[in-house]
Amino acid sequence: MQGKVIVVDHEKCTGCRLCEMVCSVFHTGASNPSRSRIKVVKWESEGFYLPTTCQNCEKPFCVEVCPTKACHQDLENQRVIIDKDKCIGCKTCIVACPFGAPSFDHVERVSIKCDYCDGNPQCVFFCDTKAVNYVDSDRVGVSKRREFSLKFSELLRQTR
Amino acid sequence: MSLASKPSTKTLKRIRPQREWRWEIAIYLYLAGMGAGSFIVGLFTHWNGFGLSLPLRTFTFWGVPLELSKLALLWGPILVAIGAPFLILDLGKKLRFYTACFNPRTSWLARGFFILSGFILAGLIVLGALSFQQMSHPPLLWRLFEIISMLLAFATAIYTGILLKSVRYIPIWNTPLLPALFLLSALSTGSMGVILSTMGYGLLFPGGGLPHLLISRLTRIEQILVLIEGLILATYLISKYRAKDQGEDSVRLLISGDLRFLFWGGIVAVGFLFPIVLEYLYSHFPQYPGLLFATGALLLAGGFFLRLGLLASGVKERLPMYKLIEMKIKMSAFQRGE
Repeated sequence: MQGKVIVVDHEKCTGCRLCEMVCSVFHTGASNPSRSRIKVVKWESEGFYLPTTCQNCEKPFCVEVCPTKACHQDLENQRVIIDKDKCIGCKTCIVACPFGAPSFDHVERVSIKCDYCDGNPQCVFFCDTKAVNYVDSDRVGVSKRREFSLKFSELLRQTR
Repeated sequence: MSLASKPSTKTLKRIRPQREWRWEIAIYLYLAGMGAGSFIVGLFTHWNGFGLSLPLRTFTFWGVPLELSKLALLWGPILVAIGAPFLILDLGKKLRFYTACFNPRTSWLARGFFILSGFILAGLIVLGALSFQQMSHPPLLWRLFEIISMLLAFATAIYTGILLKSVRYIPIWNTPLLPALFLLSALSTGSMGVILSTMGYGLLFPGGGLPHLLISRLTRIEQILVLIEGLILATYLISKYRAKDQGEDSVRLLISGDLRFLFWGGIVAVGFLFPIVLEYLYSHFPQYPGLLFATGALLLAGGFFLRLGLLASGVKERLPMYKLIEMKIKMSAFQRGE
């Protein structure tokens, strides 16, 4: 990972899918979650919700497999984006991404993926529970370690 | 519903294969493989690789002599050319298909564009030249060109497997056994295609009768290829099933999941069992060529089902996050005493 990335906390997510809605409205003008760049994976019966989106990989596999170079790294803004004017809709990036981040826009007939709304991700802005956050990639590990330490110390307190 | 009849956590786990590459890609892979395989077998036959060749039948076409026996052997590139538009059919933006060759440095789809184009071009030149001109003693350069076209045919047959293998995060595709399986399938379906075309050629021009010796030798070779292909398929599936997270889901989907009818009916029965039985019957009753035609039709359909089944069973590796959540679900179910 590089630059700033979207980080999710599945324990805070309520599965309201507002992130999908605002994403589709921002990018397409339509309130259509199927065209959203962020997807909430649900384990409905268990009440688990996990918003998934582009992880902005350091060596993005989607870029490697793209036959037209439509999917490329924007080094200036440190993100991976798909140029929809170059995309032929072969769906190779969708099949190749381990995180299932790119998806196929059935209206525009091209692959789409999160571009962090040019540095102001709408999903982060509108998420009421703060389950979706936009943080520096080098802070991701720190916050996770802090979260783990807090939980561990709480567990120790309970056992005493 | 009583508690006892509730599905267990394991059965609740949903196996979701990829749905992006579907029948269009299966047809593309199949026709590319079969066309390349038939060209390899046909060119070997033309080189008298099996000690035999078809009787010649020259026709005058617009004042130019045309040798039809070569068309019966070397039609492979035409089939690949027919299959390539199916890839275009699958594209979201079909008119931009020509840009699919812009990134050959890392993309196998782009490399495939060059491999297939090269094979179609070289194969059509070989087919055209041999059909329109008899070369009893071909020059060395021409022989070299034939060898290059043969290598391109091998590359095309193997490429169909490499394209899927290049998608690293679908474990059932990510194995060197897949290109080997597709190569064997290309050769078996290709040899069957050549058998059928030579039989059709013999029946269309009955002056010399059916080229029985050529057909029986090709049939023998095709049987060996089918057996090796079956062994590779079994090894491939067993190795993937044993690898647990590395393909177990896909194999389960094929042998006992939603794709079981396609696997047992289309791949195993239509692609392997029926052709073997029918070919055995034909070897005892060669006076019924319909048996061999039926064998051919089933074997060719089986080759398509093989690609369709393997495409449809492509399940991605589960992310560690998903595994963690499923572990939590299992733990909570365990704590509830389920």
